[in-house]
Amino acid sequence: MSAATTEPTLATRAEQPLPSRRRTGSLGWHLGALLILAVILYPVVWVIGASFKPSKDIINSLQLVPSHPILSNFKGLADGIADISIWTFFQNSLFYAVGAVVGVLISCSLTAYAFARIRFAGRNLLFSLMIGTLLLPYHVLLIPQYVMFQKLGWINTYTPLLIGKYLATEAFFVFLMVQFMRNLPRELDEAARLDGCGHFRIYWSIVLPLCRPALITSAIFTFINAWNDFMGPLIYLNEPGKYTVSLGLMMFRDSDGVAANYGGMIAMSLVALLPVLLFFLAFQRYLIDGMATSGLKG
Amino acid sequence: MGPAVTLVKDSPPAARKPRSAVSATTGRRPGRRRENLAGYLFMSPWIAGFLLLTAGPMAASLYFAFTDYNLFNTPKWVGFDNFTKMFHDPRWQKSVEVTAKYVVIGTPLKLLLALGVAMLLAQSRRGQAFYRAAFYAPSLIGASVSVGFVWRSLFSDGAIVDRTQSVFGWHVGGWVGNADWVLYCLVALTVWQFGAPMVIFLAGLKQVPRELYEAAEMDGAGPLRRFWNITLPMISPVLFFNVLLETIHSFQIFGSAYVVSNGTCGPADATLVYTCYLYEQGFKNAQMGFAAAMAWMLLLAVALVTAVLFWSQKKWVHYEEGAR
Amino acid sequence: MGTGRNVERRTILKAAGASAAAVGLAATAGCGGSGAGDGTVTIRYSWWGAEERAQKINKTIALFEKKYPKIKVKTDFQTYASFWEKFQTQAAGGNPPDVFQNAVTFLRKYDKRGILLDLKSQVEAGNLSLDHFRAGVTKVGEVDGKQLGVPVGSNTMALVIDKKVFEKAGVEPHAGWTWDDYFKALKTIHDRTKVAGDTGYFSIMYLYDLYLRQNGKAFYTDDGLGFDKADLTEWWTDGYNRVKAGIVTDPKVVAQDFPKSSLSAGHGASEFTWDNFTVRYSAEGDSTYGLAPIPTMDGKHTGQYLASLMLSASARTAHPKEVAQFIDFMVHDPEVGKIMGYDRGILASTEQYSAYRPTDAVNKEIAQYEDDTAKAGVLGTITPHPSGADTIEAAFLRIGGDLGQGKTKVADAVKQFFTESEAAFQA
Repeated sequence: MSAATTEPTLATRAEQPLPSRRRTGSLGWHLGALLILAVILYPVVWVIGASFKPSKDIINSLQLVPSHPILSNFKGLADGIADISIWTFFQNSLFYAVGAVVGVLISCSLTAYAFARIRFAGRNLLFSLMIGTLLLPYHVLLIPQYVMFQKLGWINTYTPLLIGKYLATEAFFVFLMVQFMRNLPRELDEAARLDGCGHFRIYWSIVLPLCRPALITSAIFTFINAWNDFMGPLIYLNEPGKYTVSLGLMMFRDSDGVAANYGGMIAMSLVALLPVLLFFLAFQRYLIDGMATSGLKG
Repeated sequence: MGPAVTLVKDSPPAARKPRSAVSATTGRRPGRRRENLAGYLFMSPWIAGFLLLTAGPMAASLYFAFTDYNLFNTPKWVGFDNFTKMFHDPRWQKSVEVTAKYVVIGTPLKLLLALGVAMLLAQSRRGQAFYRAAFYAPSLIGASVSVGFVWRSLFSDGAIVDRTQSVFGWHVGGWVGNADWVLYCLVALTVWQFGAPMVIFLAGLKQVPRELYEAAEMDGAGPLRRFWNITLPMISPVLFFNVLLETIHSFQIFGSAYVVSNGTCGPADATLVYTCYLYEQGFKNAQMGFAAAMAWMLLLAVALVTAVLFWSQKKWVHYEEGAR
Repeated sequence: MGTGRNVERRTILKAAGASAAAVGLAATAGCGGSGAGDGTVTIRYSWWGAEERAQKINKTIALFEKKYPKIKVKTDFQTYASFWEKFQTQAAGGNPPDVFQNAVTFLRKYDKRGILLDLKSQVEAGNLSLDHFRAGVTKVGEVDGKQLGVPVGSNTMALVIDKKVFEKAGVEPHAGWTWDDYFKALKTIHDRTKVAGDTGYFSIMYLYDLYLRQNGKAFYTDDGLGFDKADLTEWWTDGYNRVKAGIVTDPKVVAQDFPKSSLSAGHGASEFTWDNFTVRYSAEGDSTYGLAPIPTMDGKHTGQYLASLMLSASARTAHPKEVAQFIDFMVHDPEVGKIMGYDRGILASTEQYSAYRPTDAVNKEIAQYEDDTAKAGVLGTITPHPSGADTIEAAFLRIGGDLGQGKTKVADAVKQFFTESEAAFQA
């Protein structure tokens, strides 16, 4: 955990594997890794295969690749559920996720800048409080927050889901950005200050652009978390037309006759996973390096 | 600079840096008051959020915990009634038992697997990035409702898990309907998501100076010795971080239990994890006072575990010299 | 990718703008009744159900809006369990839907909390008619002298059987059969076909109610339980023994099949449920399903009564007149009857009842069943449920399931049920 490893670019950090001492172990190594890989990816491969199987075969047939693949499971999705198109759920989830990303990026970076670059009275105390909220179980806040939002008439809107994102309650991302910002060379903002720049200019023109990797990591995590969020929408959204994909899936599962349309449910599960999987494929370096960093640099 | 865990400890490390030349010497540095103003201005969203969405609700929930409140009435002060009721409630006891089992079995399994795989991956450069990414993927999708459905299917009667088990002559049938087995289905789901702690372990392993291993090897230390004497102490801060986060995280399991059990937290309350019961009492039965009391018990439990972990880290977490 | 990127950017901007607005300005409360300048009134209508019902209801709303162009209806729906979860929190927040589907279990609960509109005033004002209903059904919505709901359809508990399995086992249900006959039949079925006879009768509150009524009691009194611990101990002990004997489906299997019924999954040969639910089994399962009489103690009394799905109005609605007109239209209009069919029970008003004649086998059988039941003269009057009955119904089902899994002893289960019931009545 030396200072040498704390270059500001998360994503381009060089790989430094331990020395592989024995060449002979290489085959065994790959075999082991592949075996784990097979178990880990089985559910993902399974759901892809199952979505092309007739309902009756899904549980009982062990074939990963269906012998007679069918498309009807996906075709059924086009009809939507009860006059609500599947696309509506996706739009809602997208709205929620993008709204959350914007909020987190703005509010968390502002907060992080203050923690990392401004020396103000009470900073240490506030920082400890912020870290403390990382460990606080969300459920303690759930009931009063619900009562409060209900009194404000915000039930069945996205406001309760989003407001926290705009008020920097996502301490994890604040923390990630603080870690990143304080490793940026100080000389930069000192020079800027000599040029007469205020904090906002430094934040906006110098620090933010340099923080891109941390911002991207936070954005992707926020997007995926919002996309997967279940409890928030479950509690706050009432109208099926406002449901996110998670709730839409539950609704699909619960509707009568779906027990018969198991294939449709599996197909929709797969479709609901796709955005996350695609995000992952596109940005995995940012995600993994961001994750690794959270545990390391102190 | 301290390792990971310092951040959960005290001040922003930047505070320790020497004052910059500019601010120390030139008269043109912004005044202290202006710095304070700027600081609080930048912090204002967080401060608003902290007061409105964290501190305020915490105080309110503490108050609710001592009231009879069903959303329709004005909260009525009842002293410790909710807590007394809770301790005598067999379902609350059950939910504590289920959650404890989940945490105590799931977390170590997940971390052991994460560490094991991280050590495996750390041994080779080739293909490492690929495996790392592939193993990490479940951590991202694990929280989705889709995976909950898939899990339910995989652990059904006649599906892959049941059949594999039966090959070994151990016929259980479907896990999801069986009160003795269904919790392990959830444990499997969390263990499956070992990728996140694994990535952190892997990053930690990479920072162990290789000279240490070379020196130890020259001294004739075997792999086990090297693990025990070098790897483990060197990654102990990372281990601490993972143990802390994963434990706290698994106390709060909700979605997977809710989805895998089809919203019943059953059968026979076998997946009645703490938050499921809290949800049922608060949002199904509108016993908001009772639910708030439950939430505070959860907070106390988490705080206790955190405190014990922090206390224990003195004994087993090794920081580099000069770090503390 | 060019266009894709544009779309993405626009969506992002839109989302960002909208969410910023949502945070910055207080979002509108979306209170149901809002009047526009031209005298148009919007009412909110919530109900529980699923896809098929949604499509039918949307059609009936279109009819209504055509007839009453000044009333707009906004509708939303949930599954049964989440409907009542959401309803509760909305009602507590002072924002219940203007008009909503209701059931007998919830009448007193929400009357006690001042949520339900007594529709008598609207009947007197001539906005809603309680005439032309099939004998006695309006009674279901009448509690403590108030008309808290108007029935849209009636239903009664029935025994749904897998005809093929019953046939294969050579068992035939008949009117007036006794519980002994019934359980003997289950045993025969299990012996001959290896299928459990029933999917778990002993944790169904409404069935136990019938059994108690056959014995001169009832599940509920006006403010509590109408049976004692000894009664329930006996009922559950027998139930548990029958699970052990294999003539009742293993609750492990039932939990696994859920949300599919074990009857349609082929893991049981019969199930007690509401007669209008029969449709579900044909949709879910492969066999042929039919209705059979409820077993009796004395060869005569089944304890059955007509229950009902109702429409209720919120006491807080800003538009009681329009809501009453809406309910009136939905329960009396013959076209609505034709569209809805028996989806929510046998149509309650005579106008709708005679407008819809079922053409498919399943619905014909449902009509026949209620006809036969009525003719047999076994129908009594429903006991209104006390406040808390919904929680108790769920507890009865859950604890019964625990018991079946062998996770609790009967004595503990009974004790637990009585403790939870007490809490529910007090809440």
